[in-house]
Amino acid sequence: MKFLMAMALASTALLVAGCGGTAGKKGGTLTVLSQGDVDSLDPGYQYYQYDYEALSQPAQRTLYGWKPNLRKPSPDFAASMPKLSNGGKTITIKLKSGVRFSPPVNRVATAADVKYAMERDFLPQVANSYAPVYYGDIVGVKAFTDGKAKGISGIQAPNPTTLVIKTTKPVGVLTTANALTLPGTAPVPKEYAQKFDKGKTSTYGQHVVFTGPYMIPNDRSGKVTGWTPSKRLELVRNPNWDRKTDYRPAYLERIAFLAGNDLSLATRRILSGNGQISGDFAAPPVADFKLALEHYPSQVSFTPGDSYRSITMNTTVKPFDNVNVRKAVAAVIDRNALVATRGGSRIGPVATHYIPPFLPGFQEAGGSKSPYDYMSQPNGNLALAKRYMRKAGYASGRYNGPSLLMVGDDSAPAKNTGEAVQSQLQQLGFKLNYQQVPHEVANSKFCGVPKQKVAICPNWAWGKDFYDSQSMIDPTFNGKNIVPSNNSNLSELNDPKLNAAMDRAERIPDPAGRAKAWGAIDKAVTGLAVQVPWIWDNDVNLRSKNVKAVTNLFNGTWDVAFTSIK
Amino acid sequence: MIRYIVRRLLWMVVLLFLVSAITFLIFYALPSADPAVLRAGRQPNTQLIAHIRHQLGLDRPWYVQYWHYIKRLVLHFDFGYSYQNLISVRRQIFERLPATISLTLGAAVLWIVVGMAVGTISAVYRGRLVDRVAMTGALVGISAPVYLLGLVGLYFFANDTGKIHVFPGSGSYTGLTVNPVKWFTSLLLPWIVLATTQAAIYARLLRANLIDTLSEDYIRTARAKGLSEPRVVIVHGVRSAITPVVTAAGLDVGILLGGAILTETVFNIPGVGHLAYESIKNSDLPMIQGTVLLGAFFIILLNLVVDVLYAFIDPRVRYA
Repeated sequence: MKFLMAMALASTALLVAGCGGTAGKKGGTLTVLSQGDVDSLDPGYQYYQYDYEALSQPAQRTLYGWKPNLRKPSPDFAASMPKLSNGGKTITIKLKSGVRFSPPVNRVATAADVKYAMERDFLPQVANSYAPVYYGDIVGVKAFTDGKAKGISGIQAPNPTTLVIKTTKPVGVLTTANALTLPGTAPVPKEYAQKFDKGKTSTYGQHVVFTGPYMIPNDRSGKVTGWTPSKRLELVRNPNWDRKTDYRPAYLERIAFLAGNDLSLATRRILSGNGQISGDFAAPPVADFKLALEHYPSQVSFTPGDSYRSITMNTTVKPFDNVNVRKAVAAVIDRNALVATRGGSRIGPVATHYIPPFLPGFQEAGGSKSPYDYMSQPNGNLALAKRYMRKAGYASGRYNGPSLLMVGDDSAPAKNTGEAVQSQLQQLGFKLNYQQVPHEVANSKFCGVPKQKVAICPNWAWGKDFYDSQSMIDPTFNGKNIVPSNNSNLSELNDPKLNAAMDRAERIPDPAGRAKAWGAIDKAVTGLAVQVPWIWDNDVNLRSKNVKAVTNLFNGTWDVAFTSIK
Repeated sequence: MIRYIVRRLLWMVVLLFLVSAITFLIFYALPSADPAVLRAGRQPNTQLIAHIRHQLGLDRPWYVQYWHYIKRLVLHFDFGYSYQNLISVRRQIFERLPATISLTLGAAVLWIVVGMAVGTISAVYRGRLVDRVAMTGALVGISAPVYLLGLVGLYFFANDTGKIHVFPGSGSYTGLTVNPVKWFTSLLLPWIVLATTQAAIYARLLRANLIDTLSEDYIRTARAKGLSEPRVVIVHGVRSAITPVVTAAGLDVGILLGGAILTETVFNIPGVGHLAYESIKNSDLPMIQGTVLLGAFFIILLNLVVDVLYAFIDPRVRYA
């Protein structure tokens, strides 16, 4: 509890420091320095953290959004929280009137536009990956995706300001509005977008219109002109945005997101320059991070990242089919040493299970302490590890089987973490065929492909989709989520009892019940030692001295819609 | 001469085909990320991945994919669409080409001028203090990696991160047509950084050749005929010793026009090299193909230019 309070105080203090506690000054241009670019301009495709920072938060009005200092959804395009009926299977959402689309559409957005937005999330040409997971239980989805219906019957717009969602069973992530904060709920004008949604790939992203305070400049036809891929994305004011309908202050006149920056240089430019903030990098390189803390401490902000990093063991590969071997690995890992490879304790606390602090279910899962001896000693315990090895049938307390395939990242800091794991496992006699490949290759060709039979992946990380722990646990430990490629259940855990518990927890509509259920599942999964979680990440954000930057707790990055120039 | 050029141009087409085929084969032979999986995001179902695979044409055998690629390229000059952002490869390359051309040509002028001046002076004053200082400097220049030199340059001289504010910093590149003055100033430091190593190599290369040339009989004859020393060195010496320098320059400029990856990365110049680096990271085959073909095109073209230049530089060379 003390740990949680300290974390809460620290993050609140930093948030307040960032906010400055008073309103910002209107006007000015902000430059956001990033390594990469947004994934897509299409709200139907956007999913990742930087998409939120650059587009979803400042430029679109999703049904529900995330105010910077709150860890629960707030009505955005919606006028109030959802009303539930029919045992949680009917969700009625009242919408605000007066929210308008940017040019060239210009008209008022209605419930029908949200209905079309959510329907197009299921179009293969839009390639949304979360719609089947979170919206798949809406009535009529199957008929729509099978091509037997023109729309999803369970999404209804009886009048311009009322949206009704009907599900086949109660869906907790919808009843709590968490999954209604996703970018795919931002209204899309059907009469304008439909022509771009035809063909093999939707081109709506290149003609996207906006409902938020900012928009990407476009020409008269609506074609986006303010984006050069992997180079520059520009936001200017949306002339049709009405301040009265929104909780965002939108102080800035113009925001430029510049991609392709070297992290080290970007860090120094931001800290010593003017009008700049960090974009998509979770933390600066270790050396620059130290420099920032030493010379510019007031310009560095830490926000809990609501994610964990872990070492995964594949339960279908010997000897990790033996729970005692897995516990031995968990016991021998020096998690403090692994945290040091990423920059030390400021980068995040040592993890003892999966649900991170501040997510519902954290306390129920054990809080910051672990009930398991193999997760209780952050510096590792070789003697304990050897005892578990002996329990597993290795009389010497050391592994003596064939070498095991381990696949990790080839660039720092993840590379350093992998090498530390390798040397720690050698203490138990593990011989590793350690292959270092680019991060994208590690996941898409090896760790996320069950047939590759990778025994250990030392660089796995997972973060929330929203403040509901289903998104932390279900994709990564439910047996139904083992797929032939892009598999998120790296340990290939397929425990019928746990699977059933997760399926039950998905249907719990009330937040307290969900926290209890997912916390208990987390504890049970940790008891199987299929992964060794070792850090709950903090996001490190940087700002120039003259920027009054505000962090959004939801995605741990700066919220440009609340940020201003001093 | 015309027949020779036409023959070489035809060979260029054959070579570009070969390069594109080899790139395709390498992409499939080596472990690279699955583009469909990357595009599909973090929780996709198998149907979505299958759809994207179909959408990108990745569900067909590689030779069918290659055939379609070549057909589009030849008939429509269409390089396809990036797997990463589904934007036309041709559009993205051509948007970035001016930055790469600006960087390369400016640096090339600098390194050729500096390299030749230093090499000539060193050869003429061989063994003297000026030669020793110049060659030590050249050794330092050759030993300093561009990446390091760029970072050091920025840490000392950039007007945002530097100790002495002289040059615009990383990410300041401005297009020539947008603002010629800013274009020039934003490229000054990158030009110097990129030219330093090259100038050092060229200086050493020219010095060695010129020393050999200046000991030739015909140089002695020229001096005996009473020609002035500058005329002997520049018209008779340098003209003959420059041939390997021209060869190297052709190759280097060709390679850099295909993308000066390190310099573009350090200075965040949105050029083709940076694009190539990103596309390799993202297993973006159409973009990899586009940037590799562009690089190959420039290398082959510049080689042809060099061969033609020989005819003018070296009187012994004549093409049938």
